[in-house]
Amino acid sequence: MSENIIETSGLTRNYGDICALKPLELKVPEGEWLSVMGHSGSGKSTFMNLVGGLDRPSAGSLKVGGEDLLALTEDGLARFRRKFVGIIFQQHHMVPYLTAVENVMLAQYFHSVPDEAEARSALERVGLGHRLKNRPGELSGGEQQRVCIARAIINSPKLLLGDEPTGNLDHKSTVMIMELLKELRAEERFTVIMVTHNQEVAAWGDRTIYLDDGVLVREERMGEKQ
Amino acid sequence: MNKRRWLIHLVLRALAHRKGRTALLLAVLAMASSLATALGIVSFSMETRVAEEVRKYGANLIIIPESARLDIGSGGLNFGVVSDPAYLRQSLVEEALVKSGLKAEVSFHLRGALHMKNTDVIAEGVNFSDIRRLFPWWQLNGNWPAVGETVVGSDLALRMKLKAGDVVEMAGVDKKIQLRISGIVSSGGEEDDLLFMALPELQQALGLEGQLTLVRLMVTAGRDSLRQSALTLQRHVPTAKVNEVRQTARTSEGLLAKVKLLMLMVTAVVLVSAGSSVAGTMSTTVLERGKEIGLMKAMGGTRWEVMLIFCGEAAMLGVLGGFAGYLFGSVIAQFITKTVFAASAEFIPWFVFVSLGVSLFLALLGSVGPMISVFRLDPVRSLRGE
Repeated sequence: MSENIIETSGLTRNYGDICALKPLELKVPEGEWLSVMGHSGSGKSTFMNLVGGLDRPSAGSLKVGGEDLLALTEDGLARFRRKFVGIIFQQHHMVPYLTAVENVMLAQYFHSVPDEAEARSALERVGLGHRLKNRPGELSGGEQQRVCIARAIINSPKLLLGDEPTGNLDHKSTVMIMELLKELRAEERFTVIMVTHNQEVAAWGDRTIYLDDGVLVREERMGEKQ
Repeated sequence: MNKRRWLIHLVLRALAHRKGRTALLLAVLAMASSLATALGIVSFSMETRVAEEVRKYGANLIIIPESARLDIGSGGLNFGVVSDPAYLRQSLVEEALVKSGLKAEVSFHLRGALHMKNTDVIAEGVNFSDIRRLFPWWQLNGNWPAVGETVVGSDLALRMKLKAGDVVEMAGVDKKIQLRISGIVSSGGEEDDLLFMALPELQQALGLEGQLTLVRLMVTAGRDSLRQSALTLQRHVPTAKVNEVRQTARTSEGLLAKVKLLMLMVTAVVLVSAGSSVAGTMSTTVLERGKEIGLMKAMGGTRWEVMLIFCGEAAMLGVLGGFAGYLFGSVIAQFITKTVFAASAEFIPWFVFVSLGVSLFLALLGSVGPMISVFRLDPVRSLRGE
C-alpha cells in the first residue's frame, strides 16, 4: 500500500456564516486519480483550493505531501505550490502577452530557472510542438488547455489539480485531454485530483468522491459503488 | 535564460502588450522629469548668469588694514567708517596677490584729507585706468585726468563751485599741490563727495609713499569659490582684513532664491499631479490584471516575487521616462534661457541622474498603492474575477 499524499481530518472551510466544506475526513494515496463530483456550490472547488494550498482551512488538519499546510505562512504556501502542485484551470488562465512556450517558462521562473528547451519539450509532449510561438489568442480552447497541462507538469509536481479542465471543451477535445493526462500520469506518476461535473470525465479516475453542500456523501471506486 | 534576464523579458512583454497605457505613463513621467530637469538646468544657468551680472558691478573683494575703520564704498555700498587711519603696504599686497595665485583685477586706493579753500576735502588716490575698468558705470563730465590733473565728485564740485578746467590748490601734510580739474564724476554713491587724483601724487602729498587704505579686487568666481578666494588671500595678508563685497551679490542671490523657490513650487505641483496620474493608471492596470496576478500566485509566485514583476515594470517606465525627460528637459531649458534670459543653458550631463531619479521616484511612488493591492490579492478570488 502506497503512502497517503493527502490526509485531512475535520477539514472545514467557512466563509462568514456559510460553511463551504463541513468537517472532511479523507486520505488520498500517492499516485491515485481522485475525481471530485458535485453540483455547483457543493464544496468541490473549495476542497481543491485547500489541498492546492490556494486557500486556508477554517478548522481541522490538512497534510499534503507530508507538509502541514496550516503551519505554513502565505509565502510558505506559495513555495509549497511551486514545489508540489500543478494546476489546470477550466478557463485556462494564460498570460495573454506571452507565447505558449513563454507561458510554460513562467511556471519554471517561479519554480527555479526558465529553460526554453525544457518548456519546448513539454509542449511537444502535449502535441503542441508546432504552436510554440503562438499567443493564447491564436490557440483553440483545446490547444490552450494543452498548454496549461504542459505548464502544470513542467516542474514535475507530485500533485496535479484539475478544476473542471474540460468544462469548456467539446467531447472530442475532452477525450484528447483526458487521454493525454492519463499518459502523462503513467509516465510521471503524479497524483491527480480532478474536480468535475461530468460523470464521463470522473470515470477516468481511480476513485470518485461526491460532495453535497460541503459534505462527502458518497465514494466510488472504479467499477464499484459504495 | 537566467532569472534576471527572464524578468526583464517579462517586463518588456507586459509593457509592449499595453502600448497605449505604457505610452501614457511614459508621457507623464517624461513630462514631469523634463520639467524638473528644465527648471533645474535653468536654475543652474541663471546662477552662472547672475555671477556674470554681479561681475559687472565691479569689485567683489576688498582688502583693508586690520585696525582701520574706513568709510569706504562703491555704487551705494558702504563698508565702514574712517576712524583710525591705518595703512596697507602696497608692496606687501602685491606680493600676497602673486603668492595666492589669485586671478583678479586689482585697484589700489589711498584715502586721506587735503586742505582746499579753507576746508578739508577727502581725496582718493587711484589709478584711473583701473577705475575705468572696475567701475564702468561712473559717469564723467569732461575727461579722465592726465598727469597733474584731477576729477572731482559731482556733489563736491557743486558744494565748492568747481568745474572742469579749474585749477585747484591743495595742501597735504607738508606740501602744496596744484591740479587742474579735467572732469566731474558722478557715481550716485559716496564717490560724488570725493576728489580723485593719481595714487602716487596723493601718497606724496600725504607723506604716505607706498601706503594704501584699501584694495579692491574683482575676482571671477562663483559664490562659494569667492569665499574660498577671500580665505586664500587672507592667509597671505595676515595684517589686513579680506572681505567679500556681498551687498550686490546678496540682492541678486535673494532674487535668484525667490525664482528658484517659485520653480521648486511649480515643479512640486507638477510632480504631485504626475504622481497622481501614475498612481491612477497603475491602479487601473493592476485591477485589469487581477487574473494574471492570481495565476502567478497560484503557480507558486510569492507575494514579493509577483510584486517584483510589477515593480520592474514601474522601474522600467521610470528609467525610460527619465532618459526621455532629460532629453526634452535640456531642449526646454535651452528654449527658456534663450527666450527669457537671452542666454544659452549650460549642458549639464550629470543632470541625467536627476531626471532618472525624479522619474523613478514618481513611477515607484505612484505604484505604491497598486503594489499593495498586488501584494494582498487573493489568488482564488482574483482567478474567479472577483
